[in-house]
Amino acid sequence: MSKKKTTVFDGLISDNTVLSSLMVISPVIVCANSVQNAAALIYAFSAITFISVLIGSFVPKKLPYAAKTVIYAIISSIVYIPVKTAAQEFFPEVITRVGIYFPLLAVNSLIVLQPQTKFRSMKRTQMIPALVFYILGFDAVILVTAFLRELFASGTIAGRVVDMDTLVSGLGMPFGGFIFLGLLCGFYRAVRSAVRRENREEADSDVHSS
Amino acid sequence: MFIVAEFIVLLSTNLILMQALGTSTLFVAAGNRKNLLWTAITISVFTTAGSGAAYIVNKLLPSGAADLTPLLYTLIIGALYILILAGLYFAGGDLFDTAKKYIHLSAFNCAVMGTLFTVTERAGIYTSLDSFFGFILAGAEAGTGFILASFILTAAYARLNSSKVPAAFRGGPAMLIYLGLISMAVYAFR
Repeated sequence: MSKKKTTVFDGLISDNTVLSSLMVISPVIVCANSVQNAAALIYAFSAITFISVLIGSFVPKKLPYAAKTVIYAIISSIVYIPVKTAAQEFFPEVITRVGIYFPLLAVNSLIVLQPQTKFRSMKRTQMIPALVFYILGFDAVILVTAFLRELFASGTIAGRVVDMDTLVSGLGMPFGGFIFLGLLCGFYRAVRSAVRRENREEADSDVHSS
Repeated sequence: MFIVAEFIVLLSTNLILMQALGTSTLFVAAGNRKNLLWTAITISVFTTAGSGAAYIVNKLLPSGAADLTPLLYTLIIGALYILILAGLYFAGGDLFDTAKKYIHLSAFNCAVMGTLFTVTERAGIYTSLDSFFGFILAGAEAGTGFILASFILTAAYARLNSSKVPAAFRGGPAMLIYLGLISMAVYAFR
């Protein structure tokens, strides 16, 4: 039971798409500098990835790798069309600001490559919750990154001015995104290895005591 | 002076350093110099040929159908991907076995797709770019920029992965910070 739970929740923390696998990092580095941008990217990434991978799970697994890759990319590019139309209603300014990174979400690694690696051996009933947590993992990282970068770079939260003494405007730039993500990634790895070490020591002490 | 100016242009329009496109692929390939060079060359082939095809698609696409652009660009890259794989397969020899992993890694990544969008965007601003050869040249320039960024990363790869770097920052996080510092320096050229 616990093993199954671990597998499903993996994408949220222990095998996070951005922090662990360093995938889909371009929008996080360049566009995650305001909460409004993050909200639009979260909407688009979640909708495109969930629907595309779900439809893609019906593609025969026996097809050659290259054919499956192309089919997955075509599915997500088709799914992108209604998602973009809806986004123009809710986030018209953000779409212009985010620019090319919005359509690029349609060919993200979680859609094009992961169905052939991480989700390949999973049944659909197991794949769907796992996929949801992989998506939530990305959403959480982009939201935290955008919140902190907007706060420290612009002194605002979701566009509302906050009383900040010191601002680091470079944090809102792509180079600031690289450095911030590198630091966040290092912090995440340090915490993850500390937790793993603690769990191992607990397991060892349980074995010795029994 | 011309070479210096071109070098600065390559840096300041660099896919990785200025737009973070293809960074994940760069990290995957960075473990081995041979892998990195092959990946960078393959990406350059895709960006160059893809940009040429994107020009044709842009000209044929009605102005009200801009939302179809990602789908059409995906079809371009998909067709190139299959054509290159098939070409190498039928050419025979060891080249197919050597090159296929780089082609799989390079075809659908942000660097290639991002180049097609970026070149189209730039052609909208600079009309001198808005020709078939302009697109091809801009695609080749983007690929060369990727190769340049690969060399910049390769130069520090061993140190960023050495035991002297704290375990939590070794590899990916250190490479991100390193690229951030290079990007900050390049930003000064803009």
